[in-house]
Amino acid sequence: MNELSFIADTMRQLLTGVPLTLELTLISVGVGGALAIILSVLRASFTPFAWFVRLYVFALRGTPLLLQMFLIYYGLGQFDAVQRSFLWPFLRQPYWCAILALSLNTAAYGSEIIRGGLQSVPAGSIESARVCGMSGLLLYRRVILPLALRQALPAYGSEVIAMVKSTSLASIVTLMEISGIAYAIISETYRALEVFLCAGLIYLAINFVLTRAVAGLEIWLSPHLRPATS
Amino acid sequence: MRTFFALVGFGPTGWGWQLLLATWMTLSVSAAAFAIGLVCGVAGAWAKLSHSPAARRAGDVYTTVLRGIPDLLVVYLFYFGGSQVLTSGARLFGQSGFFGFNSFMAGALAIGIVSGAYQTEAIRGAYYAIPRGEIEAARAVGMPGFLMLRRIIAPRVLRFALPAMGNVWQSALKDSALISVTGLAEILREIHIGAGSTSRPFDFYITGFILYLVLTTISGAGFRGAESWTLRSERRA
Amino acid sequence: MTSAIVIRDLHKSFGSLEVLKGVSLDAAEGEVISIIGASGSGKSTLLRCIPLLEVPDSGEIIIGGEALRMRRRHGRPEPADSSQVNRVRGSLGFVFQSFNLWPHMTVLQNLIEAPVHVQKRSRAECVAEAEALLKKVGMAEKRDAYPAHLSGGQQQRAAIARALAMRPRALLFDEPTSSLDPELVGEVLQVIAGLAAEGRTMLIVTHEMSFAAEVSSRAIFLHAGRIEEEGPPKQVFGDPLTERCRSFVARHLNR
Repeated sequence: MNELSFIADTMRQLLTGVPLTLELTLISVGVGGALAIILSVLRASFTPFAWFVRLYVFALRGTPLLLQMFLIYYGLGQFDAVQRSFLWPFLRQPYWCAILALSLNTAAYGSEIIRGGLQSVPAGSIESARVCGMSGLLLYRRVILPLALRQALPAYGSEVIAMVKSTSLASIVTLMEISGIAYAIISETYRALEVFLCAGLIYLAINFVLTRAVAGLEIWLSPHLRPATS
Repeated sequence: MRTFFALVGFGPTGWGWQLLLATWMTLSVSAAAFAIGLVCGVAGAWAKLSHSPAARRAGDVYTTVLRGIPDLLVVYLFYFGGSQVLTSGARLFGQSGFFGFNSFMAGALAIGIVSGAYQTEAIRGAYYAIPRGEIEAARAVGMPGFLMLRRIIAPRVLRFALPAMGNVWQSALKDSALISVTGLAEILREIHIGAGSTSRPFDFYITGFILYLVLTTISGAGFRGAESWTLRSERRA
Repeated sequence: MTSAIVIRDLHKSFGSLEVLKGVSLDAAEGEVISIIGASGSGKSTLLRCIPLLEVPDSGEIIIGGEALRMRRRHGRPEPADSSQVNRVRGSLGFVFQSFNLWPHMTVLQNLIEAPVHVQKRSRAECVAEAEALLKKVGMAEKRDAYPAHLSGGQQQRAAIARALAMRPRALLFDEPTSSLDPELVGEVLQVIAGLAAEGRTMLIVTHEMSFAAEVSSRAIFLHAGRIEEEGPPKQVFGDPLTERCRSFVARHLNR
């Protein structure tokens, strides 16, 4: 098979994996992000939950994502309680196990990023909100979180890029996203270099688009950091 | 609980020795990867800081590409691609048959080259963090280039890069788990095989958790200690 | 007539340092009280205790006839009723030394934020009132600007308008001009003087002696956590009864 047509054919096959890659990324980032906000707020509180969050972050950032995925996909089936529960139809499928593992993992990293954002909120802004009578959920919703999230955005953008790369691990639990298809082609044809180049190109393209999107979001959310137009 | 220790302990049914050897393998391959990454990192940082636009461009391509694609793909490239290269190379010399690229080398090179991209950025960032005045003072006393590099710049780069290097080392430790796809007998592979052979996979995976956490915690403490040592000359706020 | 703000025997320590050693104060409606003293005399702490930005160790705070309920938890005092605290805070307007506008909101959004979300008033009504207040402090054209794009004097005037937007019964100013460049101090003092002339109840902690002498109906000189001297401005600034107040005023009243 001539080189160029092999590459074209490989590209065609790999591109069919893009929707699954994007799906895994976006769902995990969404679920993981929401969880990260909750975790970081709990971490900042003075309840016993703060300790739970610290342990959670320690465990998930100190171990490989692949191990976490294996634990969920292969390990949970050990327990009868899990097999009998309503979650089993989901937890026996690699798709949901992968999403669960990815979400829990990004929530751990994300909560640390948001924690940094929370610490950077000017104390004066919080004080002036309290003195107007704001407290609790209202204070978080209107002043603390908007400022914390804007501050955390650049670092969170890097985390989203890392998530795209992490979805490749889903191929090891049999999901046919880009890396899964790449592995299949390599094990049939043994032409690792060409497949690597094609797959790498696709991932770089996805990351390029995402980086631009995050930069655009930063600019849109921070008119207060741009130079004055009036 | 007793069954847990029977499984992972050092008894007749226990996987204790295999896990200990696997831990040693994980540490070795991670250290090899980190060392390879250090060489690539220094080269990459040198390229990105150089006067030559071509070198800077090459450095940019290196860091952008290797930080933008999944590490797993790089492992596949070196493991299968390496075999590909070795087999065709061997054919040139008249040997037929399949030549596998040793999984330790493939894994260490793959993770090492990826690690190098992050180390490039860490070293470059550390270089920019050095106050300009320190370098100017060295020039003012007439210190020649290489001496300045050795006595002034390198120690300061080490001091500023240490925190980031701590992260890079932990990443190398965790990424070593990916090398399990090549069959290397490191922690994840042994845990996975053990889990598959018993009816208690969860216990094995939890053991894996504990092993990695022990490694990353000790590493973290070690790097923090090293950071304190390099900070011994700084003023305490 | 109920006093606007009554403070009885306030004590406050930070660790081993006792900053307020039994301060009592009675502010009637319409009074403008200036609080002066050296750094460390406790004047900012005194002001910040009123809306419970600092929690006093002992003493009573009564705002508009309503006493703030306190209790002790783990040996430390804390407010007993957080909804009372929020409600009372809404009735006081606090102006900070460092303005503390919310950076992610425009000037107008800063003004309507608390009225809409805390006092639950209609948005249209709050916007209309905010625009009128901005005009009053001379910031009408800056309604859509972000705090980062404003000068210190503009930010502080916006902050004063924000405090007024809550329709407070009393205004508390914590060294409102201390963070400003000298050229910008005047525009802010002008706004504050205007509010005093309207008959609002105001407590002003300040270093601007001549301004305080002109604008206030009563002055308090704080020294080392106690009220050293109290009386009409003519007395406190012009002919103090105590030696400490005399030397303090002599050092600082140079304009």
